[in-house]
Amino acid sequence: MKDPLVVLSGVVKRFGTFTAVHRLDLEIAQGEFIAIMGPSGCGKTTTLRMIAGLETPSEGEVRISGQVMNDVPVHERDTPLVWQSLALFPFLNARENVEFGLRMRGVDTVERRRRAMEWLERLDIGAFAERSVDTLSGGQRQRVALARSLVTEPRILLLDEPLSALDAHLVIRMQGVLTRLQRELGITFVHVTHSQSEALAMADRIVIMSEGRVVQIGRPREIYRTPGNRFVAEFVGRNNILSGISRGDAIETALGTFPAAGLPAPGRPATLVIAADLVEISQAPRDGAIPCSLISEEFVGATVTLFLEAADGTELKVQVPERALGELNQHAGSRYHLSWPADAGHVLTET
Amino acid sequence: MSGRIATGLLLGWLLLVFVFIFAPIVASVIFSFNSDRFPTIPLGSFTTHWYDTIFADAEIGEAARNSIIVSLSTSVIATTLGFATAYTDYRYRFRFKGPYLALILLPPTIPLIIMALAMLAWLSWIGASGQLWSIIIAHSVLTAPFAMAILRLRLHQIDPDLEAAAWNLGSSEWRALRSVILPFCRPAIISAACLTAAISFDEFAVAWFVSGLNKTVPVIILEIVQGNIDPQVNAIGSLVFLTSMTLVVLAQLFFIARVGRA
Amino acid sequence: MNRFALVFRLPIIVWQGLFFLGPLFFMIVMSFFLVKNYRMEEAFELKNWARMLTRGYVWDSYWYTLGMAGSATLVATLVAFPAAYALAFRVSAEVRRWAIFLLIIPFFTSYLVRTFSWYVILAGSGVINAGLGTVGFGPYTMLNTPFGTVVGYLTLTLPLVVILQTVALANIDQNLVQAARNLGCSPPRTLISVVVPLAKTGLIIAALFCFILSFGDFVAPYYLGGSKPPTLPILIIDTTKSGQQWPRAAVVAVMMMLTLFAIAATAIWLAYRRRIAS
Repeated sequence: MKDPLVVLSGVVKRFGTFTAVHRLDLEIAQGEFIAIMGPSGCGKTTTLRMIAGLETPSEGEVRISGQVMNDVPVHERDTPLVWQSLALFPFLNARENVEFGLRMRGVDTVERRRRAMEWLERLDIGAFAERSVDTLSGGQRQRVALARSLVTEPRILLLDEPLSALDAHLVIRMQGVLTRLQRELGITFVHVTHSQSEALAMADRIVIMSEGRVVQIGRPREIYRTPGNRFVAEFVGRNNILSGISRGDAIETALGTFPAAGLPAPGRPATLVIAADLVEISQAPRDGAIPCSLISEEFVGATVTLFLEAADGTELKVQVPERALGELNQHAGSRYHLSWPADAGHVLTET
Repeated sequence: MSGRIATGLLLGWLLLVFVFIFAPIVASVIFSFNSDRFPTIPLGSFTTHWYDTIFADAEIGEAARNSIIVSLSTSVIATTLGFATAYTDYRYRFRFKGPYLALILLPPTIPLIIMALAMLAWLSWIGASGQLWSIIIAHSVLTAPFAMAILRLRLHQIDPDLEAAAWNLGSSEWRALRSVILPFCRPAIISAACLTAAISFDEFAVAWFVSGLNKTVPVIILEIVQGNIDPQVNAIGSLVFLTSMTLVVLAQLFFIARVGRA
Repeated sequence: MNRFALVFRLPIIVWQGLFFLGPLFFMIVMSFFLVKNYRMEEAFELKNWARMLTRGYVWDSYWYTLGMAGSATLVATLVAFPAAYALAFRVSAEVRRWAIFLLIIPFFTSYLVRTFSWYVILAGSGVINAGLGTVGFGPYTMLNTPFGTVVGYLTLTLPLVVILQTVALANIDQNLVQAARNLGCSPPRTLISVVVPLAKTGLIIAALFCFILSFGDFVAPYYLGGSKPPTLPILIIDTTKSGQQWPRAAVVAVMMMLTLFAIAATAIWLAYRRRIAS
């Protein structure tokens, strides 16, 4: 990467005997929208806090614009963070909250007020400028927090799961606001989240972390369709994961042998990943299809995930459109047959 | 309905307990306006004589001045100490934090008479007894725990990200303290100041031991009570009560009401 | 540690070290000093201890003080409990808040003035006896008796005991009480075998505070109890104020501290013990 804005090299963070981040190497480009994703406790927030200077790395370096930041105190970094709790100052009104960073930089009152109002209006909450932050709705508070972080025109904005407390419909709106702002401002956004829909919808690149390590970095589609390892396959999307042995152009698993591309040398172990939405399901038996019985289903609206069990006990998942359900006339114990096109399988060489 | 009867008995008992607790307070206010030197039933006539005599008494005036100086100074020192400890407890974790907190929180568990003797002995040993500021020192030690408790409760309500958010937006630690922590704690600070002032204004045992010739109002009361029956005590007591209650009500308005809301 | 953190941590250590630990430590040391010609001299002698511990009147005082403070604690606990129970379970939260606010008021009225009030009320020709006299009773002697002392102690401690007990009872998980009733436990049995054990910690802590305050109080036993015999705090005052015998007063103070320490340790152990041995 040419002239990355943020570089983390060999960063380790230990809290007492617990290691939160192991030897992390990561480069974030100028103007990039990057999402750091993983289950709770994976070290994503610690990584973000190290960029902001709220935690000091135990080992390794954090560089921003080429400058080593390890010993630069938080308040001299200009790496504003949008907090999960939003951390709005309850004793200040909306406008005063937005002005805060400018006040700390010694910007005079008139200029401060002008710039704060400009941002509040840009985020459509100019009308609430003089309101106490306690009286604002979740979405409005979110916008105040965003304005407060952006008013100083930073090169980078850090976001620590700020959308996690919002109602579902507001999340989608805020996602739109965030992506639009990021494109318009052309600055770097580093967004920590445990929600794959947020990461997939907004980010240019996604960093997947697990137990303090980066397990995959890639574009959203890459991560979704070609997970790099078993952890990502399990964490992102909804995948069927079958362990087996390579037979060269096919993989032999407990459920049968399936043709697949990209397999290791014959005899080596490999794993076949098939996304649940690529699996075909029917009630009538078909050639090469796996017979299964229905265990349960998860209904989330437009799509439904069916959980089935093969004869040997292997659990398989199928995602079907809700309107296709009628034809399947499912109930617990119903017999079905599953299959997938040869090109739907994605091979992992590690097991 | 045995439940009804039980409730009635309980509430009746509660009322009796309140009567016992408030009888001496109410009686003292009534006696302070009563003409008899030794009040009994039936009551004598209404008079403001006892108030007139205390306002005319130079020694009591001097004591009131001393009391005000002591309680104001105590409240400033105790609130400062209380804030520093509450903030340290809120923000930092360190070895020996338990002993550190015990150091500030324990004084109220030591009987005042023991603190009085210990303070008198120590302060005169280091040549600091018999002064007005001897009382201030002693009262600061005794009241700082109350300030600490109130401020710690307030800091318990703060969003822990708030201070970090200020740093993140460009405040140094000092600046963040001034622009975030102090404004957030302001009601509790006022409340702690009122409370410590009120406690100091009322304390007599330690003040009596270490004050020497610089008597405060409660010390004067103690001396009057040791002499004859003198209803002046009731008048002084009623005025002290008025002062303290004003402070408590202020503390309540600034803090307790807020805690209730949050 | 940076300077900022030190600014908040150090002053209190220095201040409390100098003016809290310092005095208490010095008092212990002083109990070994000698007094000659009304002047205290540095020494390390056991004379004060030997003298005080072998005097019958000191031990009379000791047991009397312990007994009176203990009785006051028992009385306060029993008197406060029904009131606290009523506040915790029989009134609305609004009334409870107001009641607790009212109970805080006495802390800001002069305890001396309240004691003086009792003196006038309880006196032989006081309000109570005058009242009883009109219906043909009395007069009763209430001043200068243990009864007077206990009234004084309760004046000092009862509001605090009621507050602490109310908080302890109000914090009980009501589901547990209802579960007990649902399992067929009668109201009195529920009180004894569910409510009291659940509130045990708070009840014991309330009693402990009552004991500490009564044990260290000199006003009630002096003005209402007539100082017959003097309690330990009165002994400290008399020894300090007359004859400059500070070291001997220190001996009494250290005895009190050790006693309180033992009682507090026992109370806290009882309060926080997990299982109740039966």
